[in-house]
Amino acid sequence: MTVTLEKEKAVPARRPKRRKPAKQPKQSKQPRQQTPKAPLGPPKGADAAATVMSSAFTMIAIVCLWMAAQMLFLGSISQHRAQDLLYAELRHVLAGPPDKAPPVGPVVPVGDPVALLTIPSIGLEQVVVEGTASGDTLVGPGHRRDTVLPGQVGTSVVYGRAATYGGPFADITDLVAGDDITVVNAQGTRVFEVLGVRRAGDPLPQPAADGAGRLTLVTAEGSGRFGAIAPENTVYVDAETKKAFPAPPGRPTVVPESELAMGTDKGALPLLALCLALLLALTLGVVAARQRWSTALVWVVACPLALALSWATTDVVMRLLPNLI
Amino acid sequence: MRRLLALILLATAIAVPAGAVASPAGAPDGFTGLDRRNERADGWSETKTLTRTFVQGDGSTYSFPSYKVTVSADQTRNLRGRQRIEISWKGAQPSGGRAGNPFGENGLNQEYPVVILQCRGVDDPSLPKSKQLRPETCWTGSVAQRSQITRAEGEASWIHDADADAADKERLSGIDPFPSAEQCPTADVAGYYTHLTPFVAAKGTSFSACDAASMPPEAAVGTAAPPAEIAAYTDTDGSGEVQFEVRSDVENESLGCSHKVACSVVVIPIVGLSCDQPQTPMTRSDQACRKGGRFPAGSSNFANEGVDQAVSPSLWWAASNWKNRFAIPITFGLPPDACDVLDPRPPTGFYGSELLAQAALQWAPAYCLNKGRFKFQLNQMSDEAGWNLMENGGGAAAVVSSEHDQRGSDPVGYAPTAVTGFAVGYQVDKPDNGGELTDLRLNARLLAKLMSQSYLGSDLGRGHPGIGGNPLSIVNDPEFIELNPGLSQTSQEAAATLLSLSNDSDIIEQVTDYIAHDQDAMDFMHGKKDPWGMVINPRYRDLELPRADWPLLDTYVPETASECRQNNPGVYFSQLAAPVTTLRKIAEALLDAWPYVATRCEFDTGTNTYKMGRIDRQSFGSRFMLGIVSLGDAERYGLRSAALETKPGTYVEPSARSLGAAVRLADQAKQAHPFALDQADVQRSSDAYPGTMIVYTAARLQNLPEEDAAKVAQFIRVSMSEGQRPGSGNGELPAGYLPIQRTGVTAKLYDSAQDVADAIEEQQAPEPTDPTGNGGGDGGPGGSIVPPGDVPIDDVPSADAGPSAVPTGPAAPIAMPATQPVDSSLAGGLLPLLILLGAAGCLVATVLRVAGPALRRRR
Repeated sequence: MTVTLEKEKAVPARRPKRRKPAKQPKQSKQPRQQTPKAPLGPPKGADAAATVMSSAFTMIAIVCLWMAAQMLFLGSISQHRAQDLLYAELRHVLAGPPDKAPPVGPVVPVGDPVALLTIPSIGLEQVVVEGTASGDTLVGPGHRRDTVLPGQVGTSVVYGRAATYGGPFADITDLVAGDDITVVNAQGTRVFEVLGVRRAGDPLPQPAADGAGRLTLVTAEGSGRFGAIAPENTVYVDAETKKAFPAPPGRPTVVPESELAMGTDKGALPLLALCLALLLALTLGVVAARQRWSTALVWVVACPLALALSWATTDVVMRLLPNLI
Repeated sequence: MRRLLALILLATAIAVPAGAVASPAGAPDGFTGLDRRNERADGWSETKTLTRTFVQGDGSTYSFPSYKVTVSADQTRNLRGRQRIEISWKGAQPSGGRAGNPFGENGLNQEYPVVILQCRGVDDPSLPKSKQLRPETCWTGSVAQRSQITRAEGEASWIHDADADAADKERLSGIDPFPSAEQCPTADVAGYYTHLTPFVAAKGTSFSACDAASMPPEAAVGTAAPPAEIAAYTDTDGSGEVQFEVRSDVENESLGCSHKVACSVVVIPIVGLSCDQPQTPMTRSDQACRKGGRFPAGSSNFANEGVDQAVSPSLWWAASNWKNRFAIPITFGLPPDACDVLDPRPPTGFYGSELLAQAALQWAPAYCLNKGRFKFQLNQMSDEAGWNLMENGGGAAAVVSSEHDQRGSDPVGYAPTAVTGFAVGYQVDKPDNGGELTDLRLNARLLAKLMSQSYLGSDLGRGHPGIGGNPLSIVNDPEFIELNPGLSQTSQEAAATLLSLSNDSDIIEQVTDYIAHDQDAMDFMHGKKDPWGMVINPRYRDLELPRADWPLLDTYVPETASECRQNNPGVYFSQLAAPVTTLRKIAEALLDAWPYVATRCEFDTGTNTYKMGRIDRQSFGSRFMLGIVSLGDAERYGLRSAALETKPGTYVEPSARSLGAAVRLADQAKQAHPFALDQADVQRSSDAYPGTMIVYTAARLQNLPEEDAAKVAQFIRVSMSEGQRPGSGNGELPAGYLPIQRTGVTAKLYDSAQDVADAIEEQQAPEPTDPTGNGGGDGGPGGSIVPPGDVPIDDVPSADAGPSAVPTGPAAPIAMPATQPVDSSLAGGLLPLLILLGAAGCLVATVLRVAGPALRRRR
């Protein structure tokens, strides 16, 4: 979807051919100031087809590789930045400012930081946000809204991404029974002891004693050669603390499907349509601008826009994908 | 041919004994529920002789012939708000000038009617005055019904009432001291006569009733409940009957009748004022007092012309009328919230069917007021929702009326609790002021036509593709006219629909099962024309029956010139059907003759927008409305129930006998399972009511917490013993239910209930605990109710799950369910696919780019 390049000088077309711009966002090329000096002959049908195919495959490659790159690498940059901001916000909120209530439940606005999760043995330190839709887990692990907050009496469930956008929970399957998980929430600090890693078919842990708090970290994992980038099955890590903070009553009893494990958020479709329309508009804008200004100038102006739009578009696409990858 | 004959013989042989035995079984111990005409223990009757007298100019007394009037009421004790009681009388003076609508002030212009009012207090001279009945404690919904304001002398007949005190013969009377001009600006005009009958509210406030502003708040225009007081009509044979709706302090706080405040229904047959000695020559008011009416007996007064005041209902308070009163003492039952107020214990919720609502209303106080029992509460919801709650531990028991799919691993026992059913309730007036229709007959095809939205409603429906030739409504349908001759054929939108439920219900399942077993109805559903050429709405064609919910499938939006409809395009047939969520709403809609049809257009000048709303109440005399109600509601509110066709040509009304005959046909496949009533059997029988439904208390037979199990077993046993005694008191079985008894047709239900109660109490095959920890559904907030299809993680028992959360002993590990897999191939395949596609794209593009010029060069 990125508008890009093509230096297809291969066929110096004598005049911009009518081409469907939407299908291939590549602009018509060098219209005027083109001296038809050394034509290699009129383009044959086969040549034209080869050009089209080549451009099409280039576009496919760019779109796929950009998405993969953003999911695996660029996304972690934005996730790290979001974590920095969330950490500062959580610090502020826990200090008890007069203008904001500390997040103790039962209902916390979606997207607000609710707890700090630290697992020294795998070097994880993440701010947990409220909500588990795929858009929420882009910035950090998400707390499922129909469970108690981490550190409170009852079972708290936290979803985290395994591979993309920093993959904060990529390593939690390395945890072993006895490892410590420290949780700082608005009520204080609690250290959880890992009970074990649980996969499909394993029995659920024994019921917790009165007053105990459970924390279940949920992510996805894959198997085989590409296991690290193919997180297909959910996996759970249970941890327990003997004495937890009291939980206020009245939290929601159900969450929408988009917030369940592997849930996707279909609500992002309109936004995606908007992003794609903007990309198309940019393409047309580049085509128009190149009639008037030099190629270099156009690209200096258009590149940042193209990058920003591509980035935003991929963020929206992420919301349509499962929330644990 | 011979085989056919043999079959017929066999069928008759089976049918005849069944019918023959049903009657003695149903009749014996006085099933009083469904037949309101039966003599009731709490009925009431009294006879009085009423005479109108004139004192003549010479001092002698002239007496008109006397009327020996007998008034009776069918029930007077433990009434509930809005309940209707049947009041009948005989021997009264025939009425004249019959009004179209006898309720409230619409009934004032009649002659010799029978005025029926609800009043606070009783007629007992031994009581203190505040508890006695007076005109001041009688409720009327308007000023004109209780006060005569600034009347000319020719209309002031009350000042010559022979029985009145001297004070009441003054020009201004009724309140002493008379209100000042500021309080009542219109009351005191020189030369004119005024009598005020103030209203004294339950809390002691007195309303002077001289204009609309000085009336109690419940008498405001357009109050929630329409007027109940009535000036009823006596036929030419001197008899009459009426269903009178009583109001409790919930509906009318000023009147204030409740289980603590005694009230009466006052019946005053108007025989005309008795007059005192006239002056000579007679004044105009003397003449007015002696008038005898201008309408002949039995005539109607559609034009609402004026009547002779001395024989009109507006002077019911005058002493000579008031002394002719019959005061029927009535008592009210406990209000619906009695248990919440009187018993602080937490209730144990049973969840499910509204069919049990009226019984639960009477049963609940027998539990909460008895410290030896638990606090019973019926929470009404769809049967399926109640069942799910029971299965996953959110509720101790479910109240259902058919077999439900079992999803949990624990076996469930069904204990029969009540025999009742649904009825097609109706409110239909005969044309030409002929009174209410009392025998409506319907068959399965007519129900199918109504429910499948195949009537057009009005000309708006004519454009509907495929059915433009259908009748506008059921009253124009030749099939209906043939069944119910003599009704008005003026179509109205409400007559095109059957008000029904919008949510899942076992009742809808039974209704549709009834339709599904009728060959004609199913032919119609499959698109065959009926003999008169009517076809089904194509949207409902071949709809699968039976089903628990009735969908709104039509999508036709009429094109009209109406600006309102253009601004509010809506599916017309859905607006006609407008289903509601509870049977109670349907019963009240029938009671008020106020359909839910949402086709009224209004223009809101404030926002300059059009909006659609519920149509107005139907006017008295031309009401036509059908709705599905429970038999309990139908009996409580005095609604009429249609007779449904079973065998061709046989129509069966709900009654003790017809319910009993249906119970006889029901059989149980397996112990502790429901009794299934096969509609095919019903349609072969001549006396079984197709709407019969058995209501069950369903509870788990394993893993129910001991405490809950004991409560459920107690409930089943109590409801099988004292709960099946017909009556209106606490713990008794209200009308509309067939008592389940140890003997007779219901014996099998009784035995099954006892077995299931034992099984629930025992909780066979007890396991250590309920592993999912769901027992304490009434405990912790947020509950531990697992929504189906949720992620497995929620099966982790919450530590805050309440009292039943189990302490983990190191000794006995509990068998926990396995983690369910949650996979997503999209999640697994996406990134590798992207990278693969990207790499392939690069490769192909490069190859094309390199190979292209090379190819060309070669050429």
